[in-house]
Amino acid sequence: MERFITQANLERLAQALAEKSSVLAPVASGGTTTFRRLRPGMQLDFSRMAVISPKDATFPRNETLLTVQRYPEESGKRLELKEHLPEGEIVVIGCRPCGARGKLIFDPVYETETIKDPYYIRRRDGATFITLACARPETTCFCHSVGSGPADETGSDILLTAVEGGFVAKAVTDKGEQLLGDSLFEDAGAKAEEAAANHAKARELMGEAHDYASAAKKLLERFDDMDFWQMQSAKCISCGACTYMCPTCYCFNITDDEAGLTSRRLRSWDNCMSHTFTLEGSGHNPRATKAHRLKNRVGHKFSYYPDLHQGHIACCGCGRCIKQCPAGVDIRQVVMAAQEHVDER
Amino acid sequence: MSAEDVRELRIVGFLCNWCSYGGADTAGVARFTQPTDLRIIRVPCSGRIDPLFVARALLNGADGVLVSGCHPRDCHYAEGNFYARRRLEMLKRFLPITGIDERRFEYTWVSASEGQRWQHVVTEFTRRIHELGPAPSFNPSSAEEWANLALHEATKGETCPCHGA
Amino acid sequence: MSQLEELKAAIRGHLDSLDCVIGWEEGYDPLHATPLFIHTEADLDRLNISPLAVHNLATYATGFKGTKIGIVVRGCHSRSIIELLTEKLIERDEVVLFGLCCDGVVSQRKIRAALPADPGFVEAVEIGADELEITIAGEKTTLKVQDVLADKCRICAYPDPLLADVLIGEKHAERPNDVGLACQDDFEAKSGAEKLAFWQDTMSRCIRCYACRNVCPMCVCQDYCIAGSRDPLWMSQENTPAENFMFQMIHVSHLTGRCTECGECERACPVDIPLMLLRRYMNKQVREVFGHQAGITLDKTPPLLTFQVEEARIKERDW
Repeated sequence: MERFITQANLERLAQALAEKSSVLAPVASGGTTTFRRLRPGMQLDFSRMAVISPKDATFPRNETLLTVQRYPEESGKRLELKEHLPEGEIVVIGCRPCGARGKLIFDPVYETETIKDPYYIRRRDGATFITLACARPETTCFCHSVGSGPADETGSDILLTAVEGGFVAKAVTDKGEQLLGDSLFEDAGAKAEEAAANHAKARELMGEAHDYASAAKKLLERFDDMDFWQMQSAKCISCGACTYMCPTCYCFNITDDEAGLTSRRLRSWDNCMSHTFTLEGSGHNPRATKAHRLKNRVGHKFSYYPDLHQGHIACCGCGRCIKQCPAGVDIRQVVMAAQEHVDER
Repeated sequence: MSAEDVRELRIVGFLCNWCSYGGADTAGVARFTQPTDLRIIRVPCSGRIDPLFVARALLNGADGVLVSGCHPRDCHYAEGNFYARRRLEMLKRFLPITGIDERRFEYTWVSASEGQRWQHVVTEFTRRIHELGPAPSFNPSSAEEWANLALHEATKGETCPCHGA
Repeated sequence: MSQLEELKAAIRGHLDSLDCVIGWEEGYDPLHATPLFIHTEADLDRLNISPLAVHNLATYATGFKGTKIGIVVRGCHSRSIIELLTEKLIERDEVVLFGLCCDGVVSQRKIRAALPADPGFVEAVEIGADELEITIAGEKTTLKVQDVLADKCRICAYPDPLLADVLIGEKHAERPNDVGLACQDDFEAKSGAEKLAFWQDTMSRCIRCYACRNVCPMCVCQDYCIAGSRDPLWMSQENTPAENFMFQMIHVSHLTGRCTECGECERACPVDIPLMLLRRYMNKQVREVFGHQAGITLDKTPPLLTFQVEEARIKERDW
């Protein structure tokens, strides 16, 4: 089903949804655009791709898994544990196809036959993604090379496409279809064709896709070539901008916060570029240098994950890690360097 | 000072073992009346006090933080308080730009024999903190506060507030 | 000979005796530069020193201890090197400094604000003497470099390297070193409540990626930063404005009297938190109290690593 909605009505819809559930939307503030919890008076900013990915909706940067209450011994009471499963629904408005698709990388990890992560699954099931198709690619975009595209519907419930005067909204799932029943939507009419034409134009602007087919094997071949990784990681400063911006990075850390007799178990995003990521209790660190760590980040996305999961690359091609890297490390170049590497021995 | 109809506030005191902790003890032994808002943490020397102890306390919700050590030239370790003085002065000067009221933090010197001075310092500082009232939380505590914050004039502006575009 | 050719010639002359020379090259698109590690003459061809080449390469210096490298430095970057040398964090005979007399670098944030479309859509950039001609989404826009200069450059007192083995370009006339002191008076004059609201809102954007820390040339603890310590637990993993700001307090505290105002923390921040507000403010305090500016000369001890028995400008409070 395809319908039409004006920009003003979309804002109205967003605010109306925000009254019932949490809405995450790109909002401009302080010269940047990030996903924020939409509150009355906030304006949506669709002019650029939000700096931080919409990952927060299904995998928040920080969540309380459980709380522990202890009691003084004389009270006779014992420990009290309370699980904090996520409640409520969340609607993401205005993420791009790459951001909506990014979470699909999570599923084979957090929901398997034997292991189910109730926190993630609840959040994912309670989330609705109203995605905005991209009109033109940025210099850092490469979604078309990792099996996606500027109008990819995977992972979305509704796909919006900017057309003259507003957006064409296409329902992708039942959840999306239900939303399109709102009276703020109008008949799409001929605008549906305009949307289709815009999709084709955006895809054309992206140019030819790069073929990553050989990447998995080629990266493994370079596994022990630390000279190669030292060269590739020379400019990396070991911060976490790339991993935290990434819609597909799913590693987490668990820590306990204690205050008196209460404590909380927190789960937060972890960052494989950090020294502490694999630091062991003994003080030994199997990934002691940034070269080891970059090898893992790139290798995981383009080689180890695809090997485990039907060849799917654990990268959605949004380019955030390239654009936001303070030192300009370009993951495309690193993979390409491995693919093009000629063994001189 | 009594906090009669005001609830007790949370004031953290970092006192050096050799002078100020002794001074507080002297005040106690002499049964000088003192307000009870202050929670004392004894440290070996004011030079041991990382300004971040104070920062941490303030961000954790302390309403006031008081640091006290040996008088300059009287440090048990000869020069610990000379370093402390520089660090604490810079912390005091840092607070205004953070929006945390710098009056909530003070540092001073009290020797082990100055029971009376300790009484004076702790009374004055507690009075000051009561005048300021409970410290505003650095974290907005309700959805409403968050909403107000996002619409706050001070948070607007396209770029760095000092330079404009 | 252009500055670039002159620099290339100078580096070529040293390349054999050095492990590598760190400069810049064009990055992932024509609007961005990226650090370049020059090992061979072929690498040298990619060297780029346009106003887009912004990174403070002194950040990499401590990572090369025990080897001998060359670093291309602008005025402010040389201050970071001087501060590192003062604190004995690097050895003078292990670095060769290729100094650039600098006319300033751009702020990507200002370019973004000045362009009609998102700079992500950039197609080509022509770099003129004092202009950038940017083709974006099929449309040409000309920006004066002067209009998109980084804030630090607008108030720069030391455009020429204060320490260099090779100096490229023409020295600037001496500038007063107090031009920047009043630049953020408006912000500083806001009420406490307004400033608190500003940081609460701004720090709620922080994702604690620590780009500000890792890009800082003076943040030399790196892997052993107290922010990552579990015992003692200085910081919770909780992502709240207070926890996020706690890290800024750590950074400020550890930079007091050491910050050389290169502006990298603010540049690196993915969510554009104006961290230089804190840096400039603290540097002003350090100047007021200790009469000290970091990274100007090699013979001054950082003020918090020393003391005077009678402090001339610290007023003891009466009780």
